[in-house]
Amino acid sequence: MVNAPLKGVRIIALTWVWAGPWMGAVLADMGAEVIKIETLQRLDIQRVFLHKGTELGMNNNQFNVTNRGVKSCTLNLKQPPAVEILKQLARISDVVITNFAPRVLPGLGLDYAALKEVKPDIILVSLPGFGSSGPDKDYVSYASTIEAAGGLNAAFGYPGEGPVLSGTYPGDPIGSMYGVVATLTALNYRQRTGRGQHVDVAQSEGVTTVIPEIIMEYVMNGRIRPRLGNRDEIMAPHGAYPCRGADQWVAIAIGTDRQWRAFCRVMGNPEWSKADRFSDQVGRWQNQDELNKLVAGWTKDYTNYEVMHRLQKAGIAAGVCLNVPQLIADPHIKKRGVFIEQNHPEGGKTIVYRAPWKSALTATNPPAPCLGEHNDYVFKTLLGMSDREVAGLAEKKIIY
Amino acid sequence: MFYQALDDIKVLEYGNLFSAPFCAKILADLGAEVIKIEPPGCGDPTRATEPFLKDAPEGSGLFQYLNMNKLGITLDPATATGRKIFAELLKHADILVENNPPRRMKELGLTYRAVHGINPRTIMASITPFGQTGPYKDYEGSELVITHMGGVGFISTRESDINKEPIKYPAHLMSFQAGLSAAAATLGALYRQRVANLGSHLDISEQESVIQNLNSAVAHYWYLHQIVARTDVLSIAPAHILPCKDGYIYNAFSEEHQWRRFIEVMGHPDWADSELFKDATARALYWDALKPLLLEWTMEHTVEEIYRWSQERGAPLGAVRTADQVVADRQMATRGFFVAVGKQTAGNLKYPGVPYTFPEIPRETPAAAPALGEHNAAVYCGRLGFARRDLVKLKEAGVI
Repeated sequence: MVNAPLKGVRIIALTWVWAGPWMGAVLADMGAEVIKIETLQRLDIQRVFLHKGTELGMNNNQFNVTNRGVKSCTLNLKQPPAVEILKQLARISDVVITNFAPRVLPGLGLDYAALKEVKPDIILVSLPGFGSSGPDKDYVSYASTIEAAGGLNAAFGYPGEGPVLSGTYPGDPIGSMYGVVATLTALNYRQRTGRGQHVDVAQSEGVTTVIPEIIMEYVMNGRIRPRLGNRDEIMAPHGAYPCRGADQWVAIAIGTDRQWRAFCRVMGNPEWSKADRFSDQVGRWQNQDELNKLVAGWTKDYTNYEVMHRLQKAGIAAGVCLNVPQLIADPHIKKRGVFIEQNHPEGGKTIVYRAPWKSALTATNPPAPCLGEHNDYVFKTLLGMSDREVAGLAEKKIIY
Repeated sequence: MFYQALDDIKVLEYGNLFSAPFCAKILADLGAEVIKIEPPGCGDPTRATEPFLKDAPEGSGLFQYLNMNKLGITLDPATATGRKIFAELLKHADILVENNPPRRMKELGLTYRAVHGINPRTIMASITPFGQTGPYKDYEGSELVITHMGGVGFISTRESDINKEPIKYPAHLMSFQAGLSAAAATLGALYRQRVANLGSHLDISEQESVIQNLNSAVAHYWYLHQIVARTDVLSIAPAHILPCKDGYIYNAFSEEHQWRRFIEVMGHPDWADSELFKDATARALYWDALKPLLLEWTMEHTVEEIYRWSQERGAPLGAVRTADQVVADRQMATRGFFVAVGKQTAGNLKYPGVPYTFPEIPRETPAAAPALGEHNAAVYCGRLGFARRDLVKLKEAGVI
């Protein structure tokens, strides 16, 4: 904890669902005190997705992953006194992060100008689907429509078939990480100049930044890249091949002639592998349909782990297509401590994953909070309210 | 640079392809001085990676995108002289970003311990397929392999044969997401470096970066013991990608009123009274009946028409945008997302920019990516005190 970089930085999180909360969790990993503002009036839907049937019904695993290490207090911002309390909190905070639609904070009287009035160097980081400016800023967005708008889905699918949804919606966690980059950049800038600002991060633009090949293919040559499934622009074999067992697969990527020869040796140099059309990279790429069937004919007799280990021993990029339980049980992932079992006061045993890096600078944080778990800390300790005041505000459904 | 936020920060990039160059690009776009080290001869393999303007294989659009705003030098740290020069460069570096195999860095005498010995305040961001520890740390990775080993290949939603192989996302999306995550981690460490003047080692795993997308799939497994795999039957409808006159649209209605607005747009408000389509569950049950009715209308209209009409009425429909439509998007255009880059080898083209706006930080036109070794003289003579004559010797010795 001593080492955590953002120790002493207080962040108000007006966040829900995924992109905003995951951003908060990562900033909490870095040592920031992240205070999530919630309300019973409109719960973060991740609290109630896949409702586990706990007594309060306000905890589930998705929420626990994305709100790891943050604090929770309840404020019903539809009530003007709640907005005033939030401003009091802003006065003693460094950053406000939000992934609410761009109209929400201004509608509550909490636009950047209002926050700046109470805290002149405050940083506001907003994470809307399409940005807080421009003609389509108020279009309704979800992770799925964001990735569609950014150009991901049109390029995603099996060769010769229609586009598919990612199902995982990476546009959200990509937005989260851009949000972290934006927050830290603004904090660094404030450290140098003493100035805060409102940084706006458009999630759909974030998606476009991670598929530049597809965009530039059009800009440079006027072409729309076809959907390629597992195929590469030049490598072959390059795919997921069936292995022993139900729905078991292994991914193999052969990039060079040397790797191809090593691959043939592992397979025991079958007769077909000696064909001239497979002897060079361009030939393998041109004949990949046939090649893929032949490779699948070899992999199907082995488990995916056998294929991975044998090929990796020969210096070939190969890996098991892991599903979630296989991933959790995988020896490497276990050794790396990626998934962490936690005891949640409401949700019981829960499983979360950490951010994708190991660092001596990572803070040790508690599990995701119960709704309003830190009300006393925020209202009494930080804002100096009395028991009676807090009880009165709760009665009026301001603290709610 | 786009923004002069980090213009007092010096970064050394020693890596290739996607993750490390993208991480360093994010820092360069925020104003950091990035010196990109490439091997003498052919340089970073992305120099030879599609797309190229009018298919003339020089001036890769991907290389340009990834390396704009950087200085480029050539250096072979495997030579004794090269190693000494690398150490000199490190003495001036706040950050070292690299994505080499851990055993390669060890061979080169560039472990974190060694780096720390040369410059204790350097932040070393190491991005590798499986991280610096664990049984797979020396395994070969690639976009295909990390994607499937990160568990996302099974999770796309589609209507085709669910027994087909799991597939990867388009282009190098997961490697880029890893680079982005690495930039977030690095900026966290930088905040501490400014305060405490201390370096640190960040062990970033591309596989773990993929895992961060699995939020909902992990919850499904943990609570419902379901393995989310290639869903073809959805529990709610419509939540599908549907073809239209000139492309595809995506229905993403999470609330009933959104569906009602959509059927109003279609000119069928009476469907609201239909027993078969009364809610999302019923519509999923009778999807086979509903789908042709929707198609009858969507096939008559364009992506833009359906998208605009629906969104203007508050129905959160998604446009499945192809690259040409992304480039032409009025929202991104208004926000100035696509940008011209300084003098380019390949025409005067616009590239995807950065997804954030920092109103307080001065903005500049980004500089083009360097030619191979373009800044050798500036860096070696200008910074390290070599004479121009020495550069000839270094070149002859294969060092630069």
